[in-house]
Amino acid sequence: MTRMTIPIGPQHPMLKEPLSFLLTVEGEQVVDSLLRLGYVHRGIERLCQERSYLQNLYLLERVCGICSHVHTTAYCQGVEALLGLEVPLRGLYLRTLLCELERVHSHLLWLGVLAENMGFTTIFMYAWRDREIALDIMEELSGARVTHAVNVIGGVRVDVDEKQLPSIVERLDELEQKIETFLGVIQHERTFRARAQNVGYLSAEQVCGYCVVGPVARASGVNVDARRDAPYAVYDRVHFDVITNNEGDVWARALVRALEAIESLRICHQLLVGLPDGPTMVRAPRRVPPGEVVSRAEAPRGELIYYIRSDGTDKPGRIKIRTPTLTTLITLPDQLRDVNTADVAVVLAGVDLCIACADR
Amino acid sequence: MFDRIARRIVRWARRKSPWILHFNSGGCNGCDIEILDLLTPRYDVERLGILKEASPRHADILLCTGPVTRQTRDRLRRIYEQMPCPRWVVAVGSCTCSGGVFHGGYNVLGGVDQLLPVDMYVPGCPCRPEAIIGGLVRLLEMIE
Amino acid sequence: MKLDLILEALREVFPSHTIETRRVPIDETIVTLPPECIRPAAQVLLKQFGVYHLSTITGQDTGGEIQLLYHFWHGQGLTLCTSLSRGDARIGTLTGLIPGAAFYEREVSEMLHVTFEGHPDPRKLLLPDDWDGEAPLRKGFSVCLPREGQRAELGEEGSQ
Repeated sequence: MTRMTIPIGPQHPMLKEPLSFLLTVEGEQVVDSLLRLGYVHRGIERLCQERSYLQNLYLLERVCGICSHVHTTAYCQGVEALLGLEVPLRGLYLRTLLCELERVHSHLLWLGVLAENMGFTTIFMYAWRDREIALDIMEELSGARVTHAVNVIGGVRVDVDEKQLPSIVERLDELEQKIETFLGVIQHERTFRARAQNVGYLSAEQVCGYCVVGPVARASGVNVDARRDAPYAVYDRVHFDVITNNEGDVWARALVRALEAIESLRICHQLLVGLPDGPTMVRAPRRVPPGEVVSRAEAPRGELIYYIRSDGTDKPGRIKIRTPTLTTLITLPDQLRDVNTADVAVVLAGVDLCIACADR
Repeated sequence: MFDRIARRIVRWARRKSPWILHFNSGGCNGCDIEILDLLTPRYDVERLGILKEASPRHADILLCTGPVTRQTRDRLRRIYEQMPCPRWVVAVGSCTCSGGVFHGGYNVLGGVDQLLPVDMYVPGCPCRPEAIIGGLVRLLEMIE
Repeated sequence: MKLDLILEALREVFPSHTIETRRVPIDETIVTLPPECIRPAAQVLLKQFGVYHLSTITGQDTGGEIQLLYHFWHGQGLTLCTSLSRGDARIGTLTGLIPGAAFYEREVSEMLHVTFEGHPDPRKLLLPDDWDGEAPLRKGFSVCLPREGQRAELGEEGSQ
């Protein structure tokens, strides 16, 4: 049978960001694929070296709009370690609260995108409508729906009032019920299962070989989670389960993310109940003493790692960012092999692409 | 006379069903998810007749986000050329208006008006869905 | 991660080199090795201790040399650090041992002009197709992009 090359992107209805794929298909099956990144490369690592630590806070928040808070979390805790700052406990609790709310909003966003790529527009509309509850809570806490600018070097710049807590808890409960409905759809809806099962399979060996992180790794049975393995903020003070699944396909990833979103809401409850009194931040000096730090955090898509080197000035010597999407992108040619052309959209949605994160 | 009536009908149709094409030319995704939010039940931009189209050939308005990286520059130009006239460009987000926080980057052009004629600027980092709707409504009034 | 056992094993494999270690926040140990020892060290980590997770490879231009840091994770952070000369920065690839290193090496290669010998796919990862060949993360790189000051002439304008 003759082979044909089909380009996907950089402008494509199923892609939210520019990314280029060249699929080689034989009949209906994908035989090979070539990935081209770099459409969203803004040269952030170079820009960081030209700006001060404070200015970099605003820049690094905009590496990715969906997981902006966790980027500044990893950055701030790295710089705080270099400065030897002790962040007040209340500040750490609020930082963790926003990390988890961001995880919920990101997973609901992903569920909507996956459903739309499958043609299940109803779930896209419902998931994004219910995501607004999480965005409303984040807006009440920080003043912005996306890109909250809550982290500062030394803590967080916002505080939550006692009077706000009951309504936040009520809305978290409402959100948990809605996500349970989506979980029911993922588990029982026959069309959803037919489209998502046995598609985009990755074995545990492939996951370990490619150093994949995040829900994609956990859905193939590899039990890694930076919140438990390298606890930061107050993750060592809250109890949560790390969700894994052994199926390794897109359906497993959907299950893992839905259950993780519910776990995140339970972590939020624990944080709000145990919120200590006190200040939320300490002042940080402008100049950072010379040193290096490696800071890890668990973004919604997996392990986020920052390496920061300071030369003793008020500008960083080097900031290296490795985002979790880069680890899943490398598996795409393997996932797309022998997949039907109609399932390419589902496979691409299954890895939760965030090209802005990957390209920086 | 028929010509005049036909032109009025075409102008009415153009104003009542502006179809948009969304292209991310290198942005962080913040404005993109706010644009997608427009289609969802809370903001529901379909009440203005707006549909998000897949192909540039079907679209009237190009909603552009991102500070235009070097790699997307030619693709953005080609997409604009493929859109049939009359066509309008809305620059959504601070980095699309002027480069924003990425200004001065080695791979970043800095603002889509370096490349295309922009009809409406919607600043914000990221801009709220209400601001994008406001910008689109003002553009539709301008088209009148 | 049995850090002491790993350091002992590395000292056994490279008896002629003095292996320096330093502890940095947050819970990371950096082990400095010469460039030709990186691949054998990674092999020891993988085969003897089951350390397979390479978080990333950082490259930096410290002024005098190009430094590469291979960040591994196995319960704790372990980073292998090596220095290459600015004039001829080459080192063997790890992709045969750890397929996940492919993207990280491609990025360091284009950003700092380091050659990873034996890399199966040495294309550019992030830089555009028409990039003129400079290494953005090397010192002395000029940041500004020449601006297209004029609007493109594209025929009929959109508004009436």
